Amino acid sequence: MVDKARGSRAKPTLKEAWFHILLALADDAQHGYAIRASVQDRTDGAVKLYPATLYGSIRAMTDLGLIEPLEGTDDPDDDQRRRYYRLTQSGREALRAEVTRLQGLLDHARASAAFGGA
Amino acid sequence: MALYAFLSRALPRSYREAYLAASLTDLEDMLREADRFQGQSVVGTALRACFDLIWRIPGEWWASYRPVAALDGHGSYDRSPGRGERVMNVIRELRQAMRALLKRPGFSIVAVLTLALGIGANVAIFSIVNGILLRPLAYEDSDRIVEYRHHAPGLNLPDLMNSEGVIAFYSEHADFYEATAVYDRGSGNLAGGDEAARVQTAGASPELFSVLRVQPFMGRPFNEEDAGPESARVAILSFNTWKARFGSDPTILGRMLELDGEAIEVIGVMPSGFAFPDAEVELYTALYVNPDGPFGSFGMQTVSRLASGVSVESAQTRSTELLTRIPESFPDLQSSFLEAAAFAVSVETLRDRLVVDIEATLWIILGTVAFVLLIACANVANLFLVRAESRQKEMAVRAAMGAGRRSVAASFLSESLLLGVAGGMVGIVLASGGVRLLLSVGDLPRSSEVSVDTSSLLLAALLSVVAGLAFGAIPMTRYAGSRFAGILRDGSRGNTGGRERHRARNLLVAAQLALGLVLLVGSGLMLRSFAHLRALDLGIEPDGVLTMGLNLNQGADPEAAARYFQDAADRVAALPGVAMVGITTNLPLASGGSNGGSFYIQSKPRAEDALPPVAMFRAVGPSYFASLGIPVLDGRDVERRDWEEARPVVWVNKEFETTYLDGDAIGEHIKWSGADGDEDGWAEVVGVVGDVREFGLKDEDLRPNAYLPLRVTEAANIEIESAFLTIKAASGVEPTSLLAGARAAVRELDAQVPITATRTMEEIVAEAMESTSITMTILGVATAMALFLGAIGLAGVISYVVGQRTREIGVRVALGARSTDVSGMVMRQSMVVTGAGAVLGLVGALGLTRLMEAVLFEVSATDPATFVIAPVVLVSVSLLATWLPARRAARVNPMEALRAE
Repeated sequence: MVDKARGSRAKPTLKEAWFHILLALADDAQHGYAIRASVQDRTDGAVKLYPATLYGSIRAMTDLGLIEPLEGTDDPDDDQRRRYYRLTQSGREALRAEVTRLQGLLDHARASAAFGGA
Repeated sequence: MALYAFLSRALPRSYREAYLAASLTDLEDMLREADRFQGQSVVGTALRACFDLIWRIPGEWWASYRPVAALDGHGSYDRSPGRGERVMNVIRELRQAMRALLKRPGFSIVAVLTLALGIGANVAIFSIVNGILLRPLAYEDSDRIVEYRHHAPGLNLPDLMNSEGVIAFYSEHADFYEATAVYDRGSGNLAGGDEAARVQTAGASPELFSVLRVQPFMGRPFNEEDAGPESARVAILSFNTWKARFGSDPTILGRMLELDGEAIEVIGVMPSGFAFPDAEVELYTALYVNPDGPFGSFGMQTVSRLASGVSVESAQTRSTELLTRIPESFPDLQSSFLEAAAFAVSVETLRDRLVVDIEATLWIILGTVAFVLLIACANVANLFLVRAESRQKEMAVRAAMGAGRRSVAASFLSESLLLGVAGGMVGIVLASGGVRLLLSVGDLPRSSEVSVDTSSLLLAALLSVVAGLAFGAIPMTRYAGSRFAGILRDGSRGNTGGRERHRARNLLVAAQLALGLVLLVGSGLMLRSFAHLRALDLGIEPDGVLTMGLNLNQGADPEAAARYFQDAADRVAALPGVAMVGITTNLPLASGGSNGGSFYIQSKPRAEDALPPVAMFRAVGPSYFASLGIPVLDGRDVERRDWEEARPVVWVNKEFETTYLDGDAIGEHIKWSGADGDEDGWAEVVGVVGDVREFGLKDEDLRPNAYLPLRVTEAANIEIESAFLTIKAASGVEPTSLLAGARAAVRELDAQVPITATRTMEEIVAEAMESTSITMTILGVATAMALFLGAIGLAGVISYVVGQRTREIGVRVALGARSTDVSGMVMRQSMVVTGAGAVLGLVGALGLTRLMEAVLFEVSATDPATFVIAPVVLVSVSLLATWLPARRAARVNPMEALRAE
């Protein structure tokens, strides 16, 4: 249903995993393992990024230019886990857009009858 | 971890190179964490990680082929619409289905395993059927390779094969054969390789290479000079032997080996995979066929290639026509004799000859596992129906929010397809294990050609998709309709679940039970056959007997040979734990050459043109009858002096006595060669022994049989180079425990003589029953699976119905229904379904078990006992499956049930 709804929009929403990864990188660059750990902390363990999802997302987001690997930290070829990623400009914009969208949804929800609003 | 790494191989290379190492270390950390914090299962985490991996695979592949999407200046990341978008939609649908399935792991695991069993069994049996029955033999134009052989049922010799005379006759007159090769199987002692060894050999006339259209991998084929009567001996090695025994020595050609003490030169190596007449053959020798050989000495095997334009049928017709001209070429033969013998010829393709014993069995087994797959599908469809009903509201909501029929259908189909494909993948793993297991258990022809190959995998893929579509379509037709409004309105209201809603499930369960009953009847018939086989009086007592084959080199002196075997028997008999040791040239039921032919009876001179009596014969030593428990019914037992003094004596079996000697054999004289009038060569019948099923388990395998002492065998053409010791263990001694001692004793006598087959008599008997017991085992396993699945299906449906009717039952109880009324009601419903299934199943079984006639043994395909017992078993199983839910229904608390209202 969610998929259907968003299909009509010009700008797709972010996948949950992507959102969490962007969020994790919002403050500073992190490496893969730290991203997973911080996502898990932030959600009290509710969101677990299993390896294939984590690195698959990293791969896709790198392809799309939302994040980029940080060159020159330690020895990147030696161990992938020590490769750092940071947000690109478009990544930051995507994160901002998503937060705005979520904020809008929240406003609507709070205003609705269920929360005794209106 | 290993599984994860294995699964990772399915990922695109670019991804693996970039992220795999990191993924694995990450996973390790996660597992360690899961272990440290209580309440998290390590296995669960690992499995979830694997699933996570699996459902990312298609996406990663998609990404690895897709050009990187261009970013527009505003940081949005649109993908180009069109075909790519549609593919992504499909993938998204599949992922959503995967998530839905993972949310209900119990349902998914049961469904996948059920399908995997069904698909795996089918793929395994299909691989075997394909390799043995369907695929053409591995020779060029193999459907033109035939075997002709002769029969003389009038002489009680149903299968004569061919003789040198007949072969020469055909090569002169039968222009419808392009070429005919003669071959025989044997074994020999090979020296000159890594170590001296007993090897399986085949003699072949030079034509073999043109008939089969094969050439040696290296070296040259046999030619006419190799196959002359006085030619220097030459050998061609099988590829595997060249590899294993000679280390693939490239300079093997021209090397001198020693076969049975005679020098033999290696002139060639056959290509890999060449397995004629079977895969056991290690070495081929050139076979001399005498073009002026006699008509009468049958027993030679041939293989021919049809001339171009000649069909098997026309070869058969023309061969039969040719038979009438045989007397022209063999003046000694009278056509009246051939007529009385009902002399006939049959022409069959080589493929048919190879698979004749196993064909019926394999088709039956394939049919059986197809049934199991149907049952498995019915079961999963049922699970699916139950699940679909519990998702009615979700579906209705989706429909209400604008998801069309197609979208709802797609979600059902993608789930069922995923289940089907997962079932298929697990099934392939099961199948490759199953094939290996079956090949190791059963002695099947062409087994070297069996594998889980592309066509098996295609079948697995097809079955997965068809199965997936089939059971996905059933709920779809019911819920992808336009009835959602009604469901939304009163979906959870206290209705009692209309009959109509259960009809589909009841039908499925009834069909499952019907299929199960057919299998039950089938395995019942096999079980009865096997019981008949076991109860069959073989005429021997196989328990406690170890047999040991001893092979002297070819052409050994008969007297020396007899002495050697007797010495060996004496030495083994002296070992502790051995009760007695007999000697025989042929073991009962063990395949291998047997001798037979026509003979003369002194008191009944043959009339002109009359059919000669025919009997099988073999040589035996003292203690042979006693060691196998064959009773001496009349006269005396074999003594040592019989062969030492070369006494002209003979023993016959009861069948022989009744057939030829009017029930009183003692004192009669018979002989195998020479002529009626001669005074020489007569042997006196000095004993009558019990009938033994020497050749097989069927009634027609009981034949007149004569037993000669070890030395009088020349007259009857028995080869005495090889013999078997029958070692009877003392009571309480395990026969196999005697093996080491017996081997040592024989070695001590002459270390050069190879010991061949050492088997217990019980093993030999079990082997003779093998094809029946394999069919029975597979049918039994299939039946157990079918019954189990059927019972689960029934139990599932009944409990679901009980659950749905809880409120109704509560009302009934509140109104005074007793608990027996309630459980009776549930039972009745289950019995209606079972009854319908039983009736359908019996009708099906009556039709289908006829096809089993070929593999049944002394049981009719409509055996009344089986047809009564099988439905009883079915009903018992379904009673059991109903009992639990019925009990639950009986315990419904009316207050609780009504409160929910």
